[in-house]
Amino acid sequence: MADETFDLFACLARVRQRDQSAARELVEHLYPLVIRIVRAHLPRRVAEEDLAQDIFLKMFTRLEQYKGAVAFSHWVSRIAVTTCIDQLRAQKRRPEFRWADLSEKEADVLDSVLTSDGAVAANDALASRELVYKLLGQLKADDRLVIQLLDLEQRSVAEISELTGWNSSLIKVRAFRARGKLKKLFQDLERKERK
Amino acid sequence: MKDFDSRWQKLVTAARQAPVAREETAPYGFATRVAAGAMCDAGPTVLAVFGRFSVRALWIACLLTLAGVAANYVVFAGSTGDDQNLIDPVSEVFTNAS
Repeated sequence: MADETFDLFACLARVRQRDQSAARELVEHLYPLVIRIVRAHLPRRVAEEDLAQDIFLKMFTRLEQYKGAVAFSHWVSRIAVTTCIDQLRAQKRRPEFRWADLSEKEADVLDSVLTSDGAVAANDALASRELVYKLLGQLKADDRLVIQLLDLEQRSVAEISELTGWNSSLIKVRAFRARGKLKKLFQDLERKERK
Repeated sequence: MKDFDSRWQKLVTAARQAPVAREETAPYGFATRVAAGAMCDAGPTVLAVFGRFSVRALWIACLLTLAGVAANYVVFAGSTGDDQNLIDPVSEVFTNAS
């Protein structure tokens, strides 16, 4: 996506004429965008390359439906997000979240979040991210996606609506439900920590 | 909820600081493989062609049936009157027995 000289519309026109080299250029151009979405929403046990390939194949299959009403990158992002969410829906959630599932570093971060008022140490950022993903793994796929986009990627409700096709009320309901579930999870973990 | 919110925000703020230092260019051969797959799959599948011809065949069969019925309507209509004049062998057997 960083290639400023890339002529997207000329490339799309060539792809529509079944030009394989244009299709390859389009994949290379869009790969950073798609792989960022895939990595952010990757379900367990799914290879990121396989998921990225599915997204690109869907994009080519639906290319005739693209009329230019929105930016092409938005259109592709939407395909990527919906493909990821379909994969997340297909996988079963972990039955229970336990302290034993956490690495030592993640357990330290959780302990710090639950017991101290100070910020998490900067060198614990990676463990924090892993911990957040493990907690989000306890949510339903749709709720997880909303919280991830809202809190981790700091997207607005309007942006999420554009990406997912859900209306703003539904997004807010899902965010509320997800936060309720996370709150309960925190309370359970806190109880176990005290024991 | 407020207490939870502050804890959750503390955690996600820390999570957002995590560096993303992974490769973002397509692996070697990925784009070629995907492009080739997409260009090969884009044509009509055997199943789609079969489905399209099946629907056409169904319409043609319906039209031929209707044409056949219309062409032989006189024969069908006339045959019901003739049936009344046919001899019923079963009733004849009963009549002779009694």
